[in-house]
Amino acid sequence: MLVLGAAGLLILALGLTVFLRFAPLGQRTGLVAHVVGVYAYDPSRREVWGPPATRFPRTRPFAARVSWASLPSQVVVGATWYDSLQEPTGGVGPAPAGRLAASNGLVPEHAPSGLRGNLPGTYTLLVLRYVGGQPVEILARTTVIVERSP
Amino acid sequence: MIARAAYAHRWRPSRYWLAALIGGALFAVLVASSVLSIVLDSIPHRASLFGLPAIGLMAAATIFGARAFRGRGATLRGRDLMVAAVLFGLGICSWLLVLDIFTFTQAAGPEVAAVSTLACLPTTAIGLLVVRRLDRNEKEPWRLVLVATAWGAIVATSLVIWAETLWDAQLGARLVPGPALDASSAFSAGIFEELAKGVAVVLLYLTMRDEFDDVIDGIVYGAAVGLGFNLMESIAYMTHLYALYRPEGASLAFAAAAGQWYQRQVLGLFLGHATYTALVGAGVGVARQLRSLPQRLLAIASGFLIAIAGHFAWDAWAQLFPVSPTSPLAVAEVHLRTLVMVGPFTAVVLLLLAQGLRVEGMALARQLELEAEAGQGTVLASEVRVLTSPWRRLGARLAAMARGGPLAYVRLSRLQTAQIHLAMERWHRERQETDLLPAAEEELRRRVRELRAATTSP
Repeated sequence: MLVLGAAGLLILALGLTVFLRFAPLGQRTGLVAHVVGVYAYDPSRREVWGPPATRFPRTRPFAARVSWASLPSQVVVGATWYDSLQEPTGGVGPAPAGRLAASNGLVPEHAPSGLRGNLPGTYTLLVLRYVGGQPVEILARTTVIVERSP
Repeated sequence: MIARAAYAHRWRPSRYWLAALIGGALFAVLVASSVLSIVLDSIPHRASLFGLPAIGLMAAATIFGARAFRGRGATLRGRDLMVAAVLFGLGICSWLLVLDIFTFTQAAGPEVAAVSTLACLPTTAIGLLVVRRLDRNEKEPWRLVLVATAWGAIVATSLVIWAETLWDAQLGARLVPGPALDASSAFSAGIFEELAKGVAVVLLYLTMRDEFDDVIDGIVYGAAVGLGFNLMESIAYMTHLYALYRPEGASLAFAAAAGQWYQRQVLGLFLGHATYTALVGAGVGVARQLRSLPQRLLAIASGFLIAIAGHFAWDAWAQLFPVSPTSPLAVAEVHLRTLVMVGPFTAVVLLLLAQGLRVEGMALARQLELEAEAGQGTVLASEVRVLTSPWRRLGARLAAMARGGPLAYVRLSRLQTAQIHLAMERWHRERQETDLLPAAEEELRRRVRELRAATTSP
């Protein structure tokens, strides 16, 4: 049993090493991104419409508007939507905040291919800071509910 | 029977007190995390509202159920069993309110929950039958195997709801998606789920010592707890995915739920929770036969460590094993992934089981021979060879049935069980690992003689 216990410790130590490799300490910069709101989205015109909302029918696309200009222009950032199964369902970046600010600042969410609409549940938008192609810090987070109704 | 024959002994109270202490600590942790969850507002209050009474009711039911089998008269036993059954039922209802109705099945509907449950019960039952049969010499009583399963299904799942949600709220929410978040979630699942399940095996070891002989029993009880946990987890995932995909059509929703059923109730029935908690049980089982306290603690800790590590490895790194959903080989890849990631841990369990069976078999043979040589009339020399082999025992019972019908089969079965029980008791006494006084052994001999008399009577 001692050998097994030692093997267990080794596996857990390896897990801790991986954890620290991808979540290194001392990465907090204090930067905060501002999510203006989440809106109904027209994919053909690539524009949002209507007032900001926190609930959407499952057949209605939506997008978040992020104020990229509020971040230092050289900081590499990105934003990704995750559905209730923690699967990424759309996003922008990573790219310097200045370049993203020059675009319309929208982060659209895309329904999974083969489905008529989004899966119901909670969708989370994470605005992330990147270093060396790896996300290292969450700068903002917002959630919306996709309803079961069409 | 053993309890009746045993006298008060200083060991007995100490391990019962330890069990009570663990139970109390467990409840205190639940209360603390529940209060914390309300303060943090990260968990629906209904979980606290219905979950805590569920834990309390299950604990009380366990106490009444255990008391019923500890040397009580028939009337008191019946009353205790009735109280235990009612408390157990209320506990289940409270828990269902938390998990099934509010969390998942509200969206899927009670019919889907019922169908999912019906789909998972037969596979779990087959799993329990197989696991119980692993103990070739002295099968564990169904009541304890089912208590272990119920703990895994109801108590352990309720315990981890709070712990994992709090972990996610405090740590997971601060991590960026990717390997670090995967590792964090895997640490949470591995640590909390194995601790919640493993406590059941530890409590059985402390309170049911005469039904907890060695590493084999630990594996059986551990796997039973794991199968119970797997049952509830399967139902929860099936209903959750059905509800998620239902708006896209019933066939897609059914396929999603069926996929979960296959993955958890067929492919992962033994290669999953049953394996991990069996490793905890193996550690506790090894500790059962060790003399010194540090050695026992080390064996138990080792069991928990390898179980947590196995669970962690699956949750954190399973997705590293490539499975492409569009590939025609996807089904084979899913099977291969499970085999590669969990297979080695299951192989370790089987190895420990084989070693345990070999040691136990040799010890039984020796004790049966010694008992036969003592000429006490409990074990005859001609019976030793039969009693040491499950197949020969079965053959003897079938022969008895051919001669005297089903009643003869049952009587011989009881006699064989009592004889093996006596040999096990002798083994534990020889190794000085029993806290029962010699009178318990005499009580077992008296019982064997009674059963032999009943077997030979027309």
